[in-house]
Amino acid sequence: MKIPELSSRTIWAVVMIVYIVTCTIPIGASFEMSDITIEIYEFIDDLPEGSVVFIGGSAVFAFDLESSASLIACLKQMERKNLRIVCAPFGVEAVQFHKYCIDASGVMESRGGTWVYGVDYVQLPYMPGGAAAYVALMDDIHTAVATDVAGTPLNDLPLMQEVLNHEDIDAWICPHWAFDMIVRYVVAERDIPGIYFAQAAAYANYVPYMMAYPGMVWMTNGFLGGAQYEKLEGVPGLGTAVVDSYAIMSVVYVGFIILGNITMYQNRDEEEEIIQ
Amino acid sequence: MISTDPWVWVSALMTICSFSLLYGENPLFRFGEYTYTAIVVAHSVVTGISTLQSRFAPLISGAKPLLIIPLILGLMSIFVVWRRYAWIASFPIAIMIGVGTGLSMRALIATEILSNIAAVIREAGLILVGPPVNSLGYLIRVVFTISGLFYLLFTVGHKGPLNKPLSYLREIGKYAFLSYLGLSVGNAIMQHSGLATSAISRLLGQWLGL
Repeated sequence: MKIPELSSRTIWAVVMIVYIVTCTIPIGASFEMSDITIEIYEFIDDLPEGSVVFIGGSAVFAFDLESSASLIACLKQMERKNLRIVCAPFGVEAVQFHKYCIDASGVMESRGGTWVYGVDYVQLPYMPGGAAAYVALMDDIHTAVATDVAGTPLNDLPLMQEVLNHEDIDAWICPHWAFDMIVRYVVAERDIPGIYFAQAAAYANYVPYMMAYPGMVWMTNGFLGGAQYEKLEGVPGLGTAVVDSYAIMSVVYVGFIILGNITMYQNRDEEEEIIQ
Repeated sequence: MISTDPWVWVSALMTICSFSLLYGENPLFRFGEYTYTAIVVAHSVVTGISTLQSRFAPLISGAKPLLIIPLILGLMSIFVVWRRYAWIASFPIAIMIGVGTGLSMRALIATEILSNIAAVIREAGLILVGPPVNSLGYLIRVVFTISGLFYLLFTVGHKGPLNKPLSYLREIGKYAFLSYLGLSVGNAIMQHSGLATSAISRLLGQWLGL
């Protein structure tokens, strides 16, 4: 029996139907917990109350959405532990991404949380300049950037009166693409622990940093890492939903790969017969 | 219940426009593509202007008179668009590249070269210590790192008595790179699959209220 060749439209239609099914009927797929995610969770848990955590890096919102799963769960954990955060965007889309995660996590007083803007959380404006901006921020935050994103002078914000330079930063979380900048100018030069909620496609590129800086650099991997973090914090969200989809989609992809290979061998045999 | 929020409708429309490419090139996709590009450019311009305003406020107020230097350099860089005066822009570009290279080189050597060499040496020392699974992991990392370097440094075959053993090492290096590529592609598929799930989940949940 000859398997017919499937058009790309048919394949996409099947894939789309499976996506819709996985989104509407969650199967609660199990997944393995990573030791590194547990280490990150425990590191954040062990930070003393009032510690200042910076969240920042360069950003592409569409890709960073993947990191939002881990970050939203982590924000809830940081609120519970009474930590304070400063968001430092080095990409034009980072400001929106930070706001999206803060809103979605519901940590602000206006959304039922306990954080107060200026006291527990400050959003800095976009900082252009790449490497030079990182170096300047670590040296003297108030010189590198004078106001928050709304134009309020940093000196008028209680949190920023205590946060002057790298010595006042206890950890740096990067939910964006360019983690190498954080490793270079934050972890290596200033000895500040760095956590990367990596996009799956970036994971393989940056994973050697964990070996190079053991105990200083940790990474989660994409939505799976997000699902792990959500499980640890007990707040199922986007990560958990996507893991369900991974489980079913993997089976579908394997099915298509097998079908594709069978079809290829069939065609090759036919071509050989024609040649002979 | 279907959402009554107009922004959710806009988001849903744009998502459908993007997904319509799967059916083939069509006007809906073009509309979505151009709208997205226009929004990104507009957003960057607005952010750039507001950044300039906030950054140069201390210059106007007289708090930081030295900011006149980056302002002049910035204005000089605009000349890049006039062929006749493009040479003026080469000064700020040269300074930018010089500063960027200087800062990067300082950090790059420490994080990309020295720290990785130290990591390989440290992990080589751990191969015979600890649980076998960890040892295997360290062994693979050390062998892959060394063989990968060999593959890059000795791409052209070495002539001489060491030709055979070096070629084996190079071959392992090739597989190290293939493993890396496989891992990267696998992770990229995971990423896109996850993003598609989040988009469809948003359509079904936020928009259609299912």
